[in-house]
Amino acid sequence: MHSSTERALWLARYVLPHEPALRAWLHRKNAPGLEVDDIVQETYARLSMISKVESIRDPKTYMFQVAHSIIVSSIRRSRIVPILAVARLEALETPADEPDLETQVDDHQELERLAEAISRLPGKIRDVFILRRVHDVPQREVARRLHLSENTVEKHMSKGFALMGALFRRGGNAPSRASSKPHPDPQHSRDHDDGNGH
Amino acid sequence: MMTAMDIDSIAADWAARIDRGTLAADEDRALMQWIESDSRHRGAFMRMRAIALHSERARALGPAFDPDRFTAGEYQSPLRSRGRRWRGAWNGRAKVLAVAAAACAAVLVALPLIDGTRHYDTRQGEFKVVSLADGTVMTLNTASNVEVDYTDTRRRIRLLEGEVLFDVVKDRTRPFIVAAGGASVRAIGTTFAVRRLKDKPLHVIVREGAVEVQQNSLLAPVRVTANMQAELPIQSGVDVEPQAVEPDEVNRKLAWQDGRIAFEAETLAGAAEAFGRYSQTAIVIDDPAVAGRQITGLFSANDPISFARAAAKTLGLNAEVRAGAVHLTQ
Repeated sequence: MHSSTERALWLARYVLPHEPALRAWLHRKNAPGLEVDDIVQETYARLSMISKVESIRDPKTYMFQVAHSIIVSSIRRSRIVPILAVARLEALETPADEPDLETQVDDHQELERLAEAISRLPGKIRDVFILRRVHDVPQREVARRLHLSENTVEKHMSKGFALMGALFRRGGNAPSRASSKPHPDPQHSRDHDDGNGH
Repeated sequence: MMTAMDIDSIAADWAARIDRGTLAADEDRALMQWIESDSRHRGAFMRMRAIALHSERARALGPAFDPDRFTAGEYQSPLRSRGRRWRGAWNGRAKVLAVAAAACAAVLVALPLIDGTRHYDTRQGEFKVVSLADGTVMTLNTASNVEVDYTDTRRRIRLLEGEVLFDVVKDRTRPFIVAAGGASVRAIGTTFAVRRLKDKPLHVIVREGAVEVQQNSLLAPVRVTANMQAELPIQSGVDVEPQAVEPDEVNRKLAWQDGRIAFEAETLAGAAEAFGRYSQTAIVIDDPAVAGRQITGLFSANDPISFARAAAKTLGLNAEVRAGAVHLTQ
């Protein structure tokens, strides 16, 4: 899995920060019969299978194009939609490599988000995570300092990753309104705007 | 059946295992086996690896990092929203500065505002999805041409030609305005499409939320809400009267966002005109009796020939391709 590390780094740098935006868009798009989670997972899978990513100038737009083509091809396969003649849908799958207004993720903002995400981790998971990630302490040493088995340390790290993944997932359900609730209900955080910009 | 959450939790276990150190040969085999056992596993695994690697950036927070400063007060998930909304909702600039100071001095340099005009277009038969800096997504239909001009006080789109669907992310401090000729459509967080074709009234359709359309700066804006459409007459002095549209019809009218055209009891003449926007290959119908026949269905927008053949088959007509056009006859 050596080459996959390089790709995972690329995903971490250029794709993951835009996942909340992608999810927000997918939720608003509301493609019938398609789960946002599945589209996102498939998007990651396709981005990890592309042979070369160096030539992608605007990964965010590319990511959106990939998600879009997943929806289009799944609609094509769908038996529910009364398609009489959908022949050349492949023609749609032209991921445009358009430069975005937002070319770089704001590093500062990224770090702020990460800091808060870590701070929100519960109890021991947070302690382990901070030692491993902020202080870069090896797993064995973390185990010794916190009087835990190495296995437990690893379990905590796994839980930490999963919780962060869930944070990114929740990110997509609320494209707008600020809420003070710690765990917003996706159903209620969906925004219906009054349509006026004042 | 395993949910995405279950898969994520196993993917996280693998990411944590790799985080500990290099995998042993048998572990590596087990991982490959797991990845290949379900088409969803690869994406979940790569995503978790990305999260694991992303979190390594936390080292930049430095040894003085104090997590308790983040948990006091009202909580706004950092990943739930973006940009200024988040900064605004997260109470207190002090926390922001605390991180900034802990991170490094360089971040204290003011970040330049995102500014400038950018241009997007599609050729005939082409579709394009563009994500903008604020999370708003534009889907450009065939032969469309727009200019995007964002500043820190407003988001302005100029629709020069064609049709664009906007999935707008709400931002109270920056109104979202689509200008087309002298007319404008204003929204904050909503989904709507604006169509500007030569010699036709400007057409606005709203799927979600609401917009305000204004024929020109002298006239009062008119509100168009979800499942409504409005046409802005070419000559001024005629009032804009929004009409209700069935949700199904809204979906049909926006089928182009997935590269399709949907017809509900549409005449072949009307269908031929609709396809004319997407392709150089014209659908020619000389016989008025044929032109008046009706068709219902969902078609690939940039394939008029397949459409004509399907219509011919359904209605018992003939479709013949000659001289760069497809002819429908009895």
